[in-house]
Amino acid sequence: MTTPPRFEAPSLARPEPTGSADVPSTSDPVVAAGTTPSQQFTARSPRRRGGPLQRLKGLWRLWFFALVLVLWWVLSADSTSTFFPPLQNIVQRLWETWVVGEARSDLYSSLRHFAIGYTIAGVLGVAIGALLWKFQRVGHAVSPVLYFVYVIPTAALLPAIVAIMGIGSPMKITIVVLAAVWPTMLNTLDGMRGIDPIKLDTAKVLHMSPLTTVRSVVLPGAMPQIMAGLRHSLSIAVIMMVVSELIASTEGIGFFILEAQQRFAITTMWTGIIVLALVGSALTFLFIAVERVVLGWYIGARAVEQKG
Amino acid sequence: MNAVDTGWFRTLARLGVIAAVLAGWQLLSVAGVLDSSSFPSMTATMAELGRQLTDSDLWLAVWETVRGWGLGLLIGCSLAITIGTLLGLNRFAYLSVIPVIEFLKTVPVIAILPLAIVVWGATLEMKVFLVAFGVFWPLAIQTIYGVRAVDPVVRDTAAVLRLRGFRKFTTVTLPSAAPFIATGLRVAAAVGLILTIIAELVGGARGLGLSILTSVNAGPDRLPATYAFILLTGVTGVLVTTAFVALEQRLLHWHESQRNLAAKAA
Repeated sequence: MTTPPRFEAPSLARPEPTGSADVPSTSDPVVAAGTTPSQQFTARSPRRRGGPLQRLKGLWRLWFFALVLVLWWVLSADSTSTFFPPLQNIVQRLWETWVVGEARSDLYSSLRHFAIGYTIAGVLGVAIGALLWKFQRVGHAVSPVLYFVYVIPTAALLPAIVAIMGIGSPMKITIVVLAAVWPTMLNTLDGMRGIDPIKLDTAKVLHMSPLTTVRSVVLPGAMPQIMAGLRHSLSIAVIMMVVSELIASTEGIGFFILEAQQRFAITTMWTGIIVLALVGSALTFLFIAVERVVLGWYIGARAVEQKG
Repeated sequence: MNAVDTGWFRTLARLGVIAAVLAGWQLLSVAGVLDSSSFPSMTATMAELGRQLTDSDLWLAVWETVRGWGLGLLIGCSLAITIGTLLGLNRFAYLSVIPVIEFLKTVPVIAILPLAIVVWGATLEMKVFLVAFGVFWPLAIQTIYGVRAVDPVVRDTAAVLRLRGFRKFTTVTLPSAAPFIATGLRVAAAVGLILTIIAELVGGARGLGLSILTSVNAGPDRLPATYAFILLTGVTGVLVTTAFVALEQRLLHWHESQRNLAAKAA
């Protein structure tokens, strides 16, 4: 039986900007909003609750989305502008290059680097965050250094890392890890700090083993925020994957787009942009699906609380 | 509370860690663990940083970066707050537009960069567009949710008091949305800086990002300069974040989240 996390004081879980001053976490926009993930879910849950029939009813909301696409198609149909070719041509080229053509290998290469880098960043982020929470004094002492490295835009480190590691998979994975580790780490730390001390004391009184304490008190308490951190890490990892390919690479989606741009093959470039957009949102929606499974108990508890 | 937890000891520990990191860097360089052709020593980097600080080219680069970042942020945030507020106030508009915004938010901003580069080239406009585009979506969503997150009790009270129009907006809507917007702004500032640097690195617009790139391309002799520029980028980031956190605390001192912080700090 897992202990549900605290519901009563969402603001406690809020990342501390300064105050008792440690690494400020400007991680997930929604979490950082002074809204815990809980509020994020209440803000969204109404339109996702209910059975399949009710979900179908909500489909009318997509009319605007469809309108935007139709407008793009119609308005660009006779476009002679170099930069904005007709959508029809783009879709056609998309089919030729990405579905039947060989550009797919670029996609695989990008996704491989992303997957390895994101996994390492996630594991490292949770592990370091947990250690910083466990050894609070060490955490206090190293926080200025950590903060400084966190604030440096990782893209600025890229040329230096290329100089050290050359262009290849290790360099790209390093970049992804370096950029994506922070949100997960800071959110893990914040989430664990927000656990009600009484629960930890209770675990101690009950002589729970450290493992049991972690499993039934620490993880459930911090999970909503860890997931929020992982989600933010995801979007950063995608961006850095592309940036590493834009600056130094001979393969990948970023390279494909850049190469098309330099050949002034604007339609081809557009297909790359669209593929990248689709990959980014597919990964995000995949993550949301996983999150709804992992945090199912939490979202359910919130929904009950809302009604009550 | 024991001696280890007193304020001055903590400060001392922090300074100690910073000194240890710098000393460790120098030690590794001197011992030859870090190859000097790819990672200059700490003293060489610091000396170069000191020299660069007196160079007007450096300040020009900093100015270009800050200008691109500031303009992009200003445009993107004004649009996001205005449009977000309007959409948040109307249920039909909100439900219709939110799928589009949620989708566009998941699109990596960087996808649009090559397009901006072919349209504008390595210019300030390109940078400003990228920053404005990048900060718009997340901040618009923050604003929409903020406007919609009015406490039901407050909303009902406003209805009972027959508050309408502008008066309701300034006394009910704005205060409840303000914390969301403030945090959105803080995040936007950080994201905007990252995008500015990326636009300079990839697009070649003038600024700190381009300085880093040219110093790397100039060969191993200029490597200390590269690291000096990277450190400076970090300092810029610290200044930007600190400024926005301070602003948030000042403007929102009345809000629950900030009051909790104050209570905790005390």
